[in-house]
Amino acid sequence: MVADEPASSGLEHLGVVPRTGSLVPLKTKDEVRAALETFEAYILEVPARWAGAVKDAIQEAIPDLKTSDFQHLRRVVQFKYLPLHIQRRYRPPHPSRPRGDGSEEDSEVTEAEDDDTARYFLVSPTTAIEHATLIKVLVQKTPFGDAARPPWALTISVPALSPTSAEQAAQWSLEYWPVAYKNTNPYGPHSSLLARNGLELAPDAGTMLALADAAGKHVHDMGFGEQIGCVIVDRTAGVNEIVAVAGDARWRSPCGEPTSHNDPGNVMAHAVQRAIAIVGKKRLRVAGSDPDSVPSPAPFCDTPVTDLEKRFHTNTNIPPNGYLCVDLDIYITHEPCVMCSMAILHSRFRRCIFGKRMPLTGGLTADTALQKPKGDAVAGTGLGHGIFWRPSELNWKFLAWEWLDTDATTMITNNTDTLQA
Amino acid sequence: MNAEEKAYHERFMREAINMAELALRSDETPVGCVFVRDGEVIGRGMNATNKTLNGTRHAEFVAIAGILEKHPISSLKETDLYVTVEPCVMCASMLRQYGIRAVYFGCWNERFGGTGGVLNVHCDPSVDKPYPVTGGIFREEAIMLLRKFYVQENDKAPEPKQKKTRELKTEILPMEIHAPRPSSSKSETSQTQTG
Repeated sequence: MVADEPASSGLEHLGVVPRTGSLVPLKTKDEVRAALETFEAYILEVPARWAGAVKDAIQEAIPDLKTSDFQHLRRVVQFKYLPLHIQRRYRPPHPSRPRGDGSEEDSEVTEAEDDDTARYFLVSPTTAIEHATLIKVLVQKTPFGDAARPPWALTISVPALSPTSAEQAAQWSLEYWPVAYKNTNPYGPHSSLLARNGLELAPDAGTMLALADAAGKHVHDMGFGEQIGCVIVDRTAGVNEIVAVAGDARWRSPCGEPTSHNDPGNVMAHAVQRAIAIVGKKRLRVAGSDPDSVPSPAPFCDTPVTDLEKRFHTNTNIPPNGYLCVDLDIYITHEPCVMCSMAILHSRFRRCIFGKRMPLTGGLTADTALQKPKGDAVAGTGLGHGIFWRPSELNWKFLAWEWLDTDATTMITNNTDTLQA
Repeated sequence: MNAEEKAYHERFMREAINMAELALRSDETPVGCVFVRDGEVIGRGMNATNKTLNGTRHAEFVAIAGILEKHPISSLKETDLYVTVEPCVMCASMLRQYGIRAVYFGCWNERFGGTGGVLNVHCDPSVDKPYPVTGGIFREEAIMLLRKFYVQENDKAPEPKQKKTRELKTEILPMEIHAPRPSSSKSETSQTQTG
């Protein structure tokens, strides 16, 4: 294959049939935390024209209250924007309203008026003030001083952290309390960045994963490794330039023979490790040094072991002066193990796409949801590491997606869940 | 750890330090290690990420690749690692998958340590058997080696940062507790490093 040829052309001859499916961005560890964490807060029904006075009264009663801690939550809300379950607590749908004092006929009119004038006020986290103390403070203030209108504070659960997308904000507003989305994501990549990159990768991702599948199948057929494969791609010029293709070689002996499958095999010959090593050797070649002058013991298995791997090995299609795997993308048949996830991070990849989630061994996912192709998430296990976006702890981050086949039957399913990919 | 045990572990950590010094002289991040089985060194390694243009060529990988040329994989289950810097997340996982018996290290790695510095890959839930770790053996020497390296230029890194103004700090704070808290933002070694 010629260096200038686009990556996906010619792959049909190798029996690579593109997979059909979609890319789903991985949730970061902080996003998972943000999606789960809630706190209890008081809410209060107040007449609209007294909302400002009540706000002042609360600030006076809780001088240390930092509203910036929950600025993603709307402070004052109209009835119609409340989640249904809160609407029902204030106005049960049957005639026996807790504060209903009129007959059924004129209650319609009263409700219409209330809609117009009542506001719902997010007071504070329940940890900021005792309920009894809050009520005591409020009854001293207008309008609650009037015995006919005692303060009516409820306790509800609200999301503790900011939403990370407009969709999440809309969902939370229905479930908890109206939420403001500030068009930022402090807990992960911005949704527009993910969308833009996802659109760019989508047309060729199925082909690249099919090539990774083929790499895994070839090593497996030769008895060298598990059916796991990996493809490293340079897409900086807008088309996929395939830089390295490698399959798993954990069952290959240093002399190049298949070995018996005794746990755990040669761990450093996982597909990701091999592919990264092949990129390093390609870089040495492009830089004009002889890769063989750098000692590389056979257990690294950093030379091609199948014809498919060889096809992509010889062409020097990598820009000179590159650093590690900066600007490169990596496609893997399975979610990589913790070792390989961190190898991808150390190598400073740009983007990572994997096929099958590995809930017992995978290092990239942070959530515990086992995605099913039909979209219904099933509770599963997961290590929760999220080793792709932990910028406060690890010195590199990259974008990561899992692939969901449109037709689940095409997924590689013959590997066990305990496999370290 | 009694005096006899201490002397035993320090003997092998000294060999690991020697490897790290060799790495420093070779313009590699000064991390060195030895693998010990039945009281004998069966493999040595030092960081080789610059020479190989491969960010995964940490001392532990280099040493194990050499060991597996001569020894069966199963021998690692009766083998201990002595490494000057806490294994990173990647190496910590590799060691666990191979079934290493125990790990002894010098200083913690708060940038991406995998055995207490950032994550606890050695004992977290996993399909593989956990292994015990002991840190702090010749900790000060391990830190000083890294600091010496970081005042040099790493011309393999993109857009080299201006390091002329950097000074070699020689003061090392005593350990207040046995292991640093994972949330601590202050690094023992400063800057990024590969361990």
